[in-house]
Amino acid sequence: MNEYAIQKRKERIKFTIVSVISLCVFFGVWYVCTAVLHLKPDYVLPSPVQVVEAFIQKLTQTNPDGATLFGHIAASLQVALTGYLLGAIVGVPLGIAMAWFRRIDLFVTPLFDLIRPVPTIAWIPLMILWFGIGLGAKAAIIFVSAFVPCVINAYAGIKQTKPVHLWVAQTFGASRREMLFTVAIPTALPLIFTGLRISLGTAWMTLCAAEMLASNKGLGYMIQLNRSLARADLIVVAMLTIGLIGTIFTVGLNALEKKFVKGGRRG
Amino acid sequence: MSKNDEILVKVSHMTKKFGDLLVLNDISFDVRKGEFMCVVGPTGCGKTTFLNCLTKLGVYQLTSGEILINGEPVDLAKHNVSYIFQEYSAFPWQTVEENVAYGLKIKKWPKDKIEKQVSEMLDMVGLTEYRKYYPSQLSASMLQRVSIARAFATQPDLLLMDEPYGQLDNSLRYKLEDELIKLWQHTGTTVIFITHNIEEAVYLSERILVLTNKPTGIKKEIVNDLPRPRDVTDVAFNKLRDEVTDLIKWW
Amino acid sequence: MKKKRFDPEKTIYAVVAIACFFVLWWFLTTFTPVKNTTPDPIAVLKLLFESFYTPIGSKVITGHLLVSLRRVLVGFGVATVLGIILGIAMGTSKWASAIFKPIFELLRPIPPIAWISLVILFFGIGETSKYILCGIGAFTNVTLNAYTGAQNVDPELVGCARMLGTSERDIFFRVVLPSCTPQIFAGMQVALSTSWMAVLAAEMVGAQEGCGWMIQRGSDTLNITLVMVGMIVIGLVGMLLATLMRAIERRLCSWNIMEG
Repeated sequence: MNEYAIQKRKERIKFTIVSVISLCVFFGVWYVCTAVLHLKPDYVLPSPVQVVEAFIQKLTQTNPDGATLFGHIAASLQVALTGYLLGAIVGVPLGIAMAWFRRIDLFVTPLFDLIRPVPTIAWIPLMILWFGIGLGAKAAIIFVSAFVPCVINAYAGIKQTKPVHLWVAQTFGASRREMLFTVAIPTALPLIFTGLRISLGTAWMTLCAAEMLASNKGLGYMIQLNRSLARADLIVVAMLTIGLIGTIFTVGLNALEKKFVKGGRRG
Repeated sequence: MSKNDEILVKVSHMTKKFGDLLVLNDISFDVRKGEFMCVVGPTGCGKTTFLNCLTKLGVYQLTSGEILINGEPVDLAKHNVSYIFQEYSAFPWQTVEENVAYGLKIKKWPKDKIEKQVSEMLDMVGLTEYRKYYPSQLSASMLQRVSIARAFATQPDLLLMDEPYGQLDNSLRYKLEDELIKLWQHTGTTVIFITHNIEEAVYLSERILVLTNKPTGIKKEIVNDLPRPRDVTDVAFNKLRDEVTDLIKWW
Repeated sequence: MKKKRFDPEKTIYAVVAIACFFVLWWFLTTFTPVKNTTPDPIAVLKLLFESFYTPIGSKVITGHLLVSLRRVLVGFGVATVLGIILGIAMGTSKWASAIFKPIFELLRPIPPIAWISLVILFFGIGETSKYILCGIGAFTNVTLNAYTGAQNVDPELVGCARMLGTSERDIFFRVVLPSCTPQIFAGMQVALSTSWMAVLAAEMVGAQEGCGWMIQRGSDTLNITLVMVGMIVIGLVGMLLATLMRAIERRLCSWNIMEG
């Protein structure tokens, strides 16, 4: 290894150590403020130790909020994935159709633009009134939040199709349908995947809100109920779990995207 | 190249207006089967419009006149036409061999024939070892070779080429031109080749169509029967080249 | 970007589509069982107009709007300033990055809404927690974008400035900051809509006024008409905020706008 590489490596190690120290300081300060100085009561801000204890406890106990941690996770995942898959299955083909068929575009886009500005959260009360508190309402809310990015990205993806590529297909005698499936959709795949990734993110985020207001199971519910029970430690456990699963989704989808979207990044 | 007098493409009074703008003005000519014809003209004189009209792509419906291939109006599903564009048109999401096979798949060739044809074409353009590569990994000349292999693979009756070598440097151009002649002689396809490079036109063609400025019409048809292989330093070559150049100057 | 050419076909389809939508809505709510649960469009519009002079709760609709907007703007404003500072610091200084990035990455995946319970426990149901929640919503996006923007500042520009003898302070304010602006604005747009959502959620959970409270009130009193009016207003405001941001961006970053 030459001089430069060695120096770079030393630098990287130095900064990694700084990061580790920083994290330790963060947890340290947190611990001191709570367990030692008791700046705020336990039920408002737990210490890191309490959070870990609560986590371990939650792995097996259903108290006090009705399910173990995994029970909540399962409930949340069930709702999130149902709404998400529905949103994707309806949204992606709709986006494709809107971009490919001019008539559909002219008719549907104005309606879509009407619905789009309303934030997903604002749909929650309406869905509760229509569907009651249960899987239906929650899935419907998440459907709306996943649906919009899927449509937008699928639409943009198809619109990106290069005229040259369509002409190539045309000179070979391809029918309009063949052009859609052999040229337009492959071109759109990267953006469709982006849409799928974004909508999983929004679906997961909306899930929190949906569960806080319309549920009796799940991570969002866990956060909400434990507020009234003043169990801040469980709240933090739920928050961190939500964050962790969200990250897993993002990393997973990124990996899938790399595998299935051929041709690499264009250009 | 044996002269086959059978006419493949018959263009009669081809006229094209974009709104009020007259671009192509009453053009008539024939192209014989297996012929290599070059079309030259001053820059911006409507050469690409000319070529696009021949295949009625997209907006390019003729305002009046007709184009017959083998006696019938042009129909891309029926007639076997291939087109090589000026821009790079290989599909970035497919490998080289998938690209070359594309036309064959659309035309529903049987699978084993497709494989054989693809291998043969890749071999003729020298891309066999790159068959699993993606376009983003290839150089400019390789990309054009992919387009050429793809165009020839369907054994087209008519091949239209729109300044395909315009963006390559000279040594590459010479190489690709020789490859093109080889492919043409091997397959017997009829070729209409557009270029603004007169040396290229004289090198490749059996007949040169010189277009005028807008509104575009045919200025002159020149027969080019220099023997092959042609030599750019040859006296006769340069005489023909000067003749064509003079026709293009617009003062 | 769309060209501003007036397209009659497009307008006709749009008008027809929206008309169909309203007709269908009216039809379903007048002649089918749905009419027991959902109000017809006329009732909704009536309530919408009434709400401008008849208070819902303690305020008329514009009052609620202003309350929600105030909360958003305060939280968003503070978070943006902090976010830009932190983001640029992390992007330009390896030390800042090493110290702050791990904590940031730890907290980032937690959606702002998930913070609601903790924040309310900590700060109560007052205005502070609303500001903080809006702030959290905005902070992550702005910081991330400022960070990427600062990282991508063309080192040649900085080198040039340095060579010409510019002070470090000026380099920051006149080279780095302007370079990052488009990226920061992109982040701010997303952040604004996240803040808007956060304030709605916060108001739905624990508030006495504001747009989110209004909708929740409608839900609690089984007043779907009110819920729908709320949704319409919220949607309109969201659109306005987004348009405003785009207009400001065009003013400040006109050198970077890409056409088409």
